[in-house]
Amino acid sequence: MATLTYTRIEDIPKIHATAREAFASGRTKSIAFRKAQIAQVGYLLKDNEQRIKDALKSDLGRPYLETELLDFAAVYGEVRMVYDKIDQWVKPQRIDFHFNWFPMGPKLVAEPKGVILNIAPFNVPVFLLLSPLVSAIAAGNGAVLKPSEQTPAFSQLIAELLPKYLDPELYAVINGGVAETTKMLELPWDHILYTGNGRIGRIIAAAAAKHLTPTTLELGGQNPVVVDPKMDVHLTAKRLLWGRFSNAGQICLAPEYVLVPAHFQDTLIEEMKKVYKTFYPDGPENSDSFSRIVTTAHTQRIKKRLDETKGKVVLGGATDVEKRYIAPTVVRDVPVDDSLLTEEIFGPVLPIVPVKDVDEAISIIRSKDYPLAVYVFSNDPKFEEKVFSNTKSGAAVTNETVITAGVPGLPVGGIGPSGYGYYTGKHCFEQFTHWRVSLKNPGWVDKVAFGFRYPPYKPDYQKYVKGITSSLPPRPGTQSGTAKRWAFWLLFALVGAGSVVLTRSRGQLKA
Amino acid sequence: MSEQYTPLDDIPRVLASARTAFLSDRAKPVAFRKQQIAQVGYLLKDNEERFKEALKLDLGRHAVETELFDFGPTYKDVRVAYDNVDKWTKVQPVDFNLNYIAMRPTIKAEPKGVILIVSAFNVPLFLTLGPLVSAIASGCAAVIKPSEAVPHVNLLLAELIPKYLDPELYHVIQGGVAETSKILELRWDHSEFSRGERVGRIIAQAAAKHLTPITLELGGCKNPVVVDPKVDIEMTARRLLWGRFSNAGQVCTCPEYVLVPRTFQSTLLSALKDAYGKFYPEGPENSDSFSRIVTREHAARLQGLLKRTNGEIVCGGDVNVEKKYVAPTIVNNVTAEDALMGEEMFGPVLLIVPVEDVDEAIAFIRARETPLAVYVFSQDKKFQEKVFSSTRSGAALANETVLSPAVPGFPVGGVGASGYGYYAGKQAFEQFTHYRVSLDNPSWVDTLVFGFRFPPYRDTYKRYVKMMHAPLPPRPTKGAKTTGPGVAWTWWISFVVSRLVSASSLMLVRSSDALRRLKP
Repeated sequence: MATLTYTRIEDIPKIHATAREAFASGRTKSIAFRKAQIAQVGYLLKDNEQRIKDALKSDLGRPYLETELLDFAAVYGEVRMVYDKIDQWVKPQRIDFHFNWFPMGPKLVAEPKGVILNIAPFNVPVFLLLSPLVSAIAAGNGAVLKPSEQTPAFSQLIAELLPKYLDPELYAVINGGVAETTKMLELPWDHILYTGNGRIGRIIAAAAAKHLTPTTLELGGQNPVVVDPKMDVHLTAKRLLWGRFSNAGQICLAPEYVLVPAHFQDTLIEEMKKVYKTFYPDGPENSDSFSRIVTTAHTQRIKKRLDETKGKVVLGGATDVEKRYIAPTVVRDVPVDDSLLTEEIFGPVLPIVPVKDVDEAISIIRSKDYPLAVYVFSNDPKFEEKVFSNTKSGAAVTNETVITAGVPGLPVGGIGPSGYGYYTGKHCFEQFTHWRVSLKNPGWVDKVAFGFRYPPYKPDYQKYVKGITSSLPPRPGTQSGTAKRWAFWLLFALVGAGSVVLTRSRGQLKA
Repeated sequence: MSEQYTPLDDIPRVLASARTAFLSDRAKPVAFRKQQIAQVGYLLKDNEERFKEALKLDLGRHAVETELFDFGPTYKDVRVAYDNVDKWTKVQPVDFNLNYIAMRPTIKAEPKGVILIVSAFNVPLFLTLGPLVSAIASGCAAVIKPSEAVPHVNLLLAELIPKYLDPELYHVIQGGVAETSKILELRWDHSEFSRGERVGRIIAQAAAKHLTPITLELGGCKNPVVVDPKVDIEMTARRLLWGRFSNAGQVCTCPEYVLVPRTFQSTLLSALKDAYGKFYPEGPENSDSFSRIVTREHAARLQGLLKRTNGEIVCGGDVNVEKKYVAPTIVNNVTAEDALMGEEMFGPVLLIVPVEDVDEAIAFIRARETPLAVYVFSQDKKFQEKVFSSTRSGAALANETVLSPAVPGFPVGGVGASGYGYYAGKQAFEQFTHYRVSLDNPSWVDTLVFGFRFPPYRDTYKRYVKMMHAPLPPRPTKGAKTTGPGVAWTWWISFVVSRLVSASSLMLVRSSDALRRLKP
């Protein structure tokens, strides 16, 4: 196992202060600077692909391909999109034309929040660490990254590489465990993004509350799959097993349990057996295409839950805690109150829950916390729609699993107990941005419209107030008084013409 | 009026009723939302006189101020949400991307659930009904807890909201500390809170237990004004005093202190005195154009602060705690350490802080917590720009104060110590919305590109992975390596090839769709 050098506790406030000072220096204001840094995040990866793949091989026993697919592809996609879009995103936004306000030139300006803290987990360590970094850079923030201590080789490597590629004062890595994280949480950050579980999520949110720091929490949950028996069963089995067994099931978006009509269970399982054979022709233990569990403790935890299940193991089931190995496993006839369904498994175990019909499937999903994703396998748009519109989740995906996080332009985020706020794209950029409103009010506006506001208030104020007040939409259940509206528009046009004349004459006077 | 408070036992029932109504999905149709949004407008419109009367009783407020600060911005929120909700709720496609186009990825706005709105006393209608409109627009249910400091307004809200709106989706809870504590024990899907940093922290901690996202509108810090000597001085004085003395200074976005160059200080002061004389020709105590402080405690707090100042009171200064009256007051020569420069005053007291020049003014602002607004009075664009770009704040206004929450399309929100999240407009709608992503992946995609992902992994995967990987932007030039033209050419060739592939894949989509249609 690689050794990870922890950041010294007394250095943590210094790193925070350095990032704040660098942010206050204003050098992130330049969009060219931001773009260069964003590109550098890409090259940090590109130049060191092999070292990172090896680090994750050592940390997670992970095949190279999974690192390419889950980590590299998603970060490159993000780098490219943000790099191409940032000029558009940072443009000041004009509001819709509005008569009373346009002389003031109202606009919204995207300003950075300050210094962002990103606490990332072990499971998709590159993407979850660097994609929020790209968003933070794009919005003009400083950022401090805390990679997981459970991926020592990778965390050590990223601490070495980041200062080589990026501005070392604005962007920093802190490595450590509970003590270091606790120290970090004592400091005032301008936004905290945390990915992990609900228990720690509450601690993070409570620590942030003391400093009135806004947070983003990405917490996971149990993602259900609803299978329509009329669906291509081979495709279903293949994509389900892929989603569940990639990275040994340690993905927040992985399908966690499959709701299948009881009469269709045998068919689905038969097909899964075939797919399983093609995935692991020499058995999964010998396959170089299957990852390991991150720690022996987690392996033990998953094993315990497998031991306690009332369902029947039909594929896999073997475990070797010392080697952090849990075989890719499918369990059938799992009841809703089973040990495998109490909380997120976060391992390569797929429980199959037989149900009567789609209504029972929906009611099971509704009885549980909102998940990060609901998956449906069906070619029937009505079936999909029924499941999606009766459930809530971060993502609603048909005939596919997991990959939404890699699609450029789709935000990644939960709802309710699966968290709040977003990763990636414009949504993450906006989350690290404050929309600062701005207007400049010329003196003459008081003469035309806004003069009535000054004391002493006069009884004729009403007629001016009407001039600047928005009209209401028609009263529900009635026909709107068209005549009245005409009069209103006429008045509107008159006032408009008057103020244009005034603006012009004012401009001429100046000239 | 504590007998009007909601019984503690009823509070969980109120939430349960709102949640059941939300889960019934009747707030889903946009037509329903628009109808309810319009009803919020008519709730006010039909009862304008009664609300003005209630605010006269609660805050001694003149009708002009109620129109300007409460009615106007609320009608604006109603109109903006009504006109835009169709657009806001439209399913959004993502930008074209070769690898994913076949999956038709989309983003759909879905409501978060039941929103809790805890509002402040100072602008009680806008801060209550504005967020309510945003909650309705996003399809959420809402429970409102208005401030107990304005009992007459609350009575009206509690009477009218169930009359005008769906009484199961939208509720009012009345009460004080005990009721609020009970409310905070419950799990809400989003909580929104205005005013008071201390209570803000309590709300945030309570929300953390339930993993509830929150919006905090805190004020909390003092909003600075920077005055350039090259400015229309009469306008500056008039707009400053108006911003400070409206609603007796109880507005979160009020200008609190004025940073003015020493050389210009006496000019500004005499202009302020002139404006003061015009505002209150018979003295402010007799003026019907000046509000009162919300409670005696707050009046006494302001009196205490005024007693402790080392500045020089040049206008006003008298306080009558019994009558909740604090005169509109101008204090000159206030220093950074003065008692009045501590927390936000939230009363009609304007501080003049002399500085050497604009740089000292900027340093003064930067040394303090981030305010809700920074105001600049100057005709010089460079001067304005210098102050705005060197400071941070919720809003940046030139030659105006307070007015920004009334602008249609403007979000209202702080940054740093002044809070986070937004009131009003699209931003508030988005805050109560979860953007649920969606895609549907046809099976042939695996045949064409995505098949390489399935175990057993083969060495040929690299080819496919490269197709998936977006090309990086050019390497920043500082480093040793640069992308040579050769590399760029290969990139372009692969680009053209991938275009061809995409065209054929699109054709495949179409033909498979066509086939699907042909099948009965």
